[in-house]
Amino acid sequence: MLRPRQEKTFFQKLWNQKALLAMSVPFLIWLFIFKYMPLWGWTMAFQDYKIARKFSEQEWIGFETFKRMLTNDHFWLVMRNTVVMSFIQIVLGFVTAITLAILLNELKNIYFKRVVQTISYLPHFISWVVAANIVTTVLASEGIINELLMKVGLIDTPIMWLLKGEYFWGIFGAAITWKELGWNTIIYLAAITMIDPSLYEAAEIDGAGRWRKIWHITLPGMKPVIVVLLIMNLGYIIESGFEPQYLLRNGTNKTYSENLDIFVLYYGMNMADYSLSTAASMFKTVVSFIFLFTANSIAKRLGESRLF
Amino acid sequence: MRKRKILLICMAFIMMASLFAACSGGKDANTQPANTPGTTNGGNNGDGGLEPVTFTYFNFQNRAQDKMASETTIGKILQDQTGVDWKIEYLVGDAETKSGVMMAGGDYPDVIGLDGQYEKFLDAGALLPLDDLIEQHGPNIKRVYEPYFDLMRHSDGHIYILPYSANVGYIPEPDIGQGAFWIQRSVLKEFGYPFVTTLNEYFDLIRQYIQKYPTTEDGARRIGFAIYAPTGAFYTVTNASNHLAGYPNDGDVMIDMETYEAKMYAGSEWEKRWVKALNDLNAEGLFDPETFTMDQDQFIEKMTTGRLLGFFAYGWQVGEATNVLRTGPDEMRYAPLPVTFEEGIKDQYLDPPSFVANRGVALSVKAKDPVRIIQYFDNMLKEENQKLIQWGIEGENYLVDENGRFYMTKEQLDNRNDNQFKEKFGWMDFEYGWPRYGNNSVFEDGNAFAVGNQPEIFQMGLTDGDKAILEAFGAETFSGYFSEPDERPWYPAWSFTIEQGSPEQLVKKQVEELQLQYVTQMVLANPADFEGLWERYTQELSRLDIARYEQFMTEEVKKRLN
Repeated sequence: MLRPRQEKTFFQKLWNQKALLAMSVPFLIWLFIFKYMPLWGWTMAFQDYKIARKFSEQEWIGFETFKRMLTNDHFWLVMRNTVVMSFIQIVLGFVTAITLAILLNELKNIYFKRVVQTISYLPHFISWVVAANIVTTVLASEGIINELLMKVGLIDTPIMWLLKGEYFWGIFGAAITWKELGWNTIIYLAAITMIDPSLYEAAEIDGAGRWRKIWHITLPGMKPVIVVLLIMNLGYIIESGFEPQYLLRNGTNKTYSENLDIFVLYYGMNMADYSLSTAASMFKTVVSFIFLFTANSIAKRLGESRLF
Repeated sequence: MRKRKILLICMAFIMMASLFAACSGGKDANTQPANTPGTTNGGNNGDGGLEPVTFTYFNFQNRAQDKMASETTIGKILQDQTGVDWKIEYLVGDAETKSGVMMAGGDYPDVIGLDGQYEKFLDAGALLPLDDLIEQHGPNIKRVYEPYFDLMRHSDGHIYILPYSANVGYIPEPDIGQGAFWIQRSVLKEFGYPFVTTLNEYFDLIRQYIQKYPTTEDGARRIGFAIYAPTGAFYTVTNASNHLAGYPNDGDVMIDMETYEAKMYAGSEWEKRWVKALNDLNAEGLFDPETFTMDQDQFIEKMTTGRLLGFFAYGWQVGEATNVLRTGPDEMRYAPLPVTFEEGIKDQYLDPPSFVANRGVALSVKAKDPVRIIQYFDNMLKEENQKLIQWGIEGENYLVDENGRFYMTKEQLDNRNDNQFKEKFGWMDFEYGWPRYGNNSVFEDGNAFAVGNQPEIFQMGLTDGDKAILEAFGAETFSGYFSEPDERPWYPAWSFTIEQGSPEQLVKKQVEELQLQYVTQMVLANPADFEGLWERYTQELSRLDIARYEQFMTEEVKKRLN
């Protein structure tokens, strides 16, 4: 007796929400066309793909390409760089943005707060091409950093920052922080404004100082947003970005700067080895999936807000 | 209420429909048959077939600014003759990536100026065979290229490319357009024009000069030595070991003149010697580490501000800066030197007469009207148009004396070398990158095809500074104090067609990658770490099948000897 009724309610619901449903259809179609249809290109990974051949003429080789990829030292080096740079990006991105958001929130002088915000999120709006040029100029042998260090007397000859591979990750971290910090704070500031002011008042009556209020009200209030963003970012763990690495790399820092995206570009576009670059992209997708679902289910178990 | 819902549903459907339309809209443009020969009746005498048409042209060199051909004087004249205009685009950024993107999208221009992507485009089935088109519509193309047809043919027997280097007649070049160790003339002047031919002497000259004058007049630190190596030109750094050892630019191999065996110089003693020399120089602070990060503009800036005392580059790589410097004080200009590792090695910087089969112009399979394009090319290769493209308009850009010899006034020559004037007139776009006579060609009337090769022009263009150098070195021309090129019928080995995706190509690429990584590290390393890095580098090299590549190159050389 119960089941049919439930079914009925489902269809009833469907019928009641048909307008909403109709509205979402175009977006589903968009999703299908642009996100699912291109997936048939994955077949390239299982073929000895030659661009001049038609689909029917391609030679199928099974998992040969994946074997080739997983036994390729270059691939593992690239994986290492990707994961490290992703990690830098996530950790730095979260810590700096949350800190700055809280600091800005504590500012009493609204004018000063605005100035800081504007200055810090401006770099987000310039293209990486320009930003990379700024970074290169700043780090050049006669750039401001070397000049300053030499004036202070810390070094006597300029350091070629971008030609030392081991410095690359640090430079990368500093560059993305400078560029994206202000932008990333916006969402946290929005989250902070959602917190009920009466909580602060109550805390104040109970004698809580600034630190206490931040620790017990602001941070817990931001927690749902932080968790959701963290889950989403873990899904991107293997997307360590492309432009900054591509634009700042050179022969000497290659072993540190080359990441999966550059690997895909290099083998696909430059070497015309489309099978290998497709396989690498697939690998990327699989890893992203695993991370996303793992992070989500951990959040679920901990009773935190989650994506789905 | 209900009406509103219906309205919403309708709207949703309209959006869906428009989405589908948008998606299918892009498809039609590419499905038209591309290589059906057009039915234009325009023969070579221009009877009709002049209706205006615009084709697209992409060149894989960063030669000039993008423009419509008709915006330039030359382009306009050629348009009046043929009715054809071009939308000209040049490479920005990395050629390898750009070509890959083109292929992945199947998005080709009508005509492609290829600069090392020939095999890749062939492999992608992107190029149009030209044999029949030349046969039917290209008498002038035939006249110029026929002697080279065998060298131009791909292994399938078809011709897909019209190279830039088909010489008609032969005249040597007075200037050095190829590789050399260049030195600022102020350095030569300071020490009384010593004729420097070994690497140690050359570096020593720079060292002494910097000790005397560490900064320029406006206080900028002088830079001792750099190498031109923007993205994609790293071979300049490694090729130098070839030249220092007394070999010409045969790419990544040295070809033994006795046995005709090809040997890769990567990991050789020659390369070690060169990289070690740079490492020592760097330890002294005389080497510019920005060599490995500079782009073309930054390099040119260092040249033109007078800070850079010496560099290694191929003349054509820095032509822009050379032209700019021409207009300045003579001491700021550079002079080429035939530097080798030691006395007794005969330098081979000058190219022997050669034909490069894989650099040239090709039609893509997307070409809209191949017949019109081939007719345009054919018209271009007429003697009078080749004169226009190199010399300009008679009476306006050059003069003819009573013996029929071409010459120029100082002003005309300055314009011929002025980048801005060249952009406007069209030399920037047309003097290279299209079907043409090779650089060393001679017209039927005995004048040189290339302005700079005309002896009268060379003599006239000589400054007092030039004369001082030539006098000190006891030569008539700059190439005159370099050794004569030995005969090398296969030259240049870098132009051999290596099939895309073949094991040979893979080895070549892997070696290049290793060089890029290790050579930069070795040059910049602490001298104490050099040996260890060299050890690692040669170990990495030994894991590649270099012997196979060398064997392939040797076979190709022997093919050309017979």
